[in-house]
Amino acid sequence: MTAPVARSSPWIYRGVWKILVDCFRVPDHPPTLPVADGDFYRSFQPSRAFLSYLKFNFWVVAVVIDLLIAVALGVVAIEADKLALVLTGIAIPLLLVGHLVAYIALHLRYDTMWYVITDRSLRARRGIWVIYEHTITFENVQNVYLRRGPLQHLFGISEIVVETAGSSQGEAESPFASGNKLLVQGIEDAAELREQIMSRVSQSRSAGLGDDRPASPTSGFSPRHLAMLCEIRDEIKCL
Amino acid sequence: MTESPPPPQPFDASKITRPDDSLLVYYLLVAACTVVGFPFVFLPLWIRFKTLRYRFDDTGVSMCWGYFFRREVHLTYRRLQDIHVTRNIVERWMGLSKLPLQTASGTAGATMQIEGIRAPEPLRDFLYAQMRGARNETLDSESDDGEDDVLGVLTEIRNELRRIRNEPAGDET
Repeated sequence: MTAPVARSSPWIYRGVWKILVDCFRVPDHPPTLPVADGDFYRSFQPSRAFLSYLKFNFWVVAVVIDLLIAVALGVVAIEADKLALVLTGIAIPLLLVGHLVAYIALHLRYDTMWYVITDRSLRARRGIWVIYEHTITFENVQNVYLRRGPLQHLFGISEIVVETAGSSQGEAESPFASGNKLLVQGIEDAAELREQIMSRVSQSRSAGLGDDRPASPTSGFSPRHLAMLCEIRDEIKCL
Repeated sequence: MTESPPPPQPFDASKITRPDDSLLVYYLLVAACTVVGFPFVFLPLWIRFKTLRYRFDDTGVSMCWGYFFRREVHLTYRRLQDIHVTRNIVERWMGLSKLPLQTASGTAGATMQIEGIRAPEPLRDFLYAQMRGARNETLDSESDDGEDDVLGVLTEIRNELRRIRNEPAGDET
């Protein structure tokens, strides 16, 4: 990459970002969650390795598409030289523009992904055209699983899926649309984050669905109750 | 990165009874996208808009719509599993948003989809605050007077036992 390109690309990107924020009303600040003062609060984005991972995917797909088009043009060139020349003239600018748009979109996708985690809940936001914000409390979480493909392994990232109760239609791969799954992508310290989530999930006393707070405090005697019961026992002993 | 969120503002959800008027414009645009099918798409949406009512009360939220095909949906806050806020680009331009609410029911889609809300964040935060697990309930219930009742009864029992123990002793001497 030449120096002017390197210098102008962040500038162009900032321009695109500003257009999105101003004209397309993309929120430019991270999402927030209401918490009490002093409670744990952390908002984060996927790690930089996730961006590299997205770029790697982009290049693989781009090279495959370019090769396919080159082969197709070659086949046309065998039959008709002039037609192939014209088609090449159309295809190259189209491909360049397509690649550029996809490359910028990839950066935008990365920059619009946000996660907020507190002691009680998790919130995620993503999207450019349609912005999804998803909030779940740990009390409602049914299970948490960690996923890591071979390519993600190479980049040292994993993704965590947090599920609440409800039905998902098979392995719907758009957890943001399907409802009861929340996907946290591009996490470097995935095991640690999963432990964080799981420890909060296991702190919840109830089983998971509906209201099941005990109506009678039979199992929840406080020390004062116990002291009083002991006094009663002693009284009975003395009878 | 750690930063503190802005302080919550007072918000009265029970004031929301109707979707915002611009929802009708949005429906109009949606129907206009299906050029030929405009009347067939717009008429149900128009009826939906005209009959759509929300009611937020202390325990839950209900919405109803429809004239020929009437639907009423009720759900309690504590059964909420997930809250989403989705805004597509047209809705963002018009300042509208959807809040699909998810319970643990078997339907794949949202149990209830609240539409046509301006500034969804306060409503979302309100619903979030009502959700199960959003507040520290165990501490709340320990500090209330329900347990003091139990303690009072136990104290009475002890006092009664003490009286019984003391009475025969008094007779003998």
